[in-house]
Amino acid sequence: MAERLTKVKVKKLGDKHQVLVLINHPMETGQRKDKKTGEKIPAHFIETITFELNGNKVAEASLGSGVSKNPLTGVELDGAKPGDTIKVSWTDNKGESGGTEATVK
Amino acid sequence: MIRVTTGLATAALLVAATMGQAGVLPEVQNDIDEFRGHFKKRFSEVNLERYQDGVNSLPQYAERRANWELLMEFPPYEQDMETARELWAKPFKNGKTFADCFDNNPPATKYPYWDETRKEIRTIELDINECLSANGEEPIKNLKTGKIAMLVAAFREQFNGQEWAVDIDSPGAKAAYDMGKKYYWTKRGQLNFSCANCHVHNAGNKLRGDVLSAGLGHTTGFPVYRTKWAVAGKPWGTVHRRYGGCNSQVRAEPLKPQSAEYRALELYEAAMSSGIPLKVPSQRQ
Amino acid sequence: MKRRKFLQSSVAGGALVVAAGSGLLKPSIAAAERSNETAFAATEADEAVKTLFGGMQAEDSGDITIKAPKQAENGAVVPIKVETSLAADTIAIVAEKNPFPLTTAVHLNGAKGFYSTRIKMGQTSNVVAYVKSGDKLYKASQTIKVTVGGCGG
Repeated sequence: MAERLTKVKVKKLGDKHQVLVLINHPMETGQRKDKKTGEKIPAHFIETITFELNGNKVAEASLGSGVSKNPLTGVELDGAKPGDTIKVSWTDNKGESGGTEATVK
Repeated sequence: MIRVTTGLATAALLVAATMGQAGVLPEVQNDIDEFRGHFKKRFSEVNLERYQDGVNSLPQYAERRANWELLMEFPPYEQDMETARELWAKPFKNGKTFADCFDNNPPATKYPYWDETRKEIRTIELDINECLSANGEEPIKNLKTGKIAMLVAAFREQFNGQEWAVDIDSPGAKAAYDMGKKYYWTKRGQLNFSCANCHVHNAGNKLRGDVLSAGLGHTTGFPVYRTKWAVAGKPWGTVHRRYGGCNSQVRAEPLKPQSAEYRALELYEAAMSSGIPLKVPSQRQ
Repeated sequence: MKRRKFLQSSVAGGALVVAAGSGLLKPSIAAAERSNETAFAATEADEAVKTLFGGMQAEDSGDITIKAPKQAENGAVVPIKVETSLAADTIAIVAEKNPFPLTTAVHLNGAKGFYSTRIKMGQTSNVVAYVKSGDKLYKASQTIKVTVGGCGG
């Protein structure tokens, strides 16, 4: 199965780095009805996004279905140096997962 | 009715000529000066360039501007713009690209333009489709959203920061401009509003939950990536998609994209936004 | 149903020990994991906060900044950014009038006191940012208006 697009942007702000990740995900609440069938579209949403700096987990976000579709999630790090690796990985309530990496410039 | 002002018109045309551009006729310059004057009076703190940000430039938008500012920290259209640039650069089956056509076309700062030979207004969308046909490719049918909007965005963004400066310097161009101007100032639809009613006389005022944007700078940032359209799955919009929506909102019959009236309206709006730097694409509600 | 990952909390850890000792739990299920899921499933804001932070009382703090629109442009996409100079280990965002008020939370283990997200809001509501710092809980809030649009093609 093709992985959903996961795009990470690392922004340097002074001596801090903002790590912003955009994930293409429907974030269905489970309450919306399919217009054609009238059936409720099952809940399908990202549950966890993990942020790692050089292999060490520095943040873990928990998401509910109240987060927007194609969510943008951002955290901020200090102490990231050029050449460091930032890894973002996510899992959803149906067992789907994805992720991406970026190198700090 | 727009009052004709005297004064700087001739100087403006001379200035345009010395800048190596064809420029605009004195009457058109008068209209531009009057249009700008209205907004300068209404929003004294907002300088001309700032109108490129649309409704976000208005003081009345203070409570809502954070939507745009926060979304722009990681613009939702970024991924699509990468795709758009790839689409623009991708060779046709015959090896040519859009650049090969558009190297012979005006820069984005001079679109739309009056074509003296064909006696019609040419838009970027029309010239994209002409390029496709000329190179043995299928022209794009959907002129409101998706691929056409992304291609227009990929072309226009190459001129970001450059001032819009369409030419209205011939009788044919002037007639087209007048058609657009008339459309803009004519009341229409069941609600009987003209474009000017909302976007000139009531710019900055509330329309139910929304703030009306200023006509000045209106289409500077098109194509637009709208949150409302994104939620429904079709985020992109060309100018003519938006015109159709506006017509529907006043309960007037929307026209087809690239219809003569919409192209004329687009030409008028471009002239009114002369001098404003392009900032493409725009992220809006 | 997939289990959520364990959110560290000294209070939850205590509850785990007590619950396990009393035989109320199967050893394979951590109480804090379940409480995390329960917090997201809570339909009342106080219930969500109590479940997530184990009954800690939150005090208002001027060291928490919320950047969010005062009026949303679209209830489906409301951007919110929380920043704090407090030594934060958890930041949670609660939209009090949402059907499930706890929208998202982040556990920080080295990252700064900062969290940026975009949430759905069904109606005008107070949005509260909770920041847990060690054994203290703080909060700041802002009302975000959600209205029906007037125009928009």
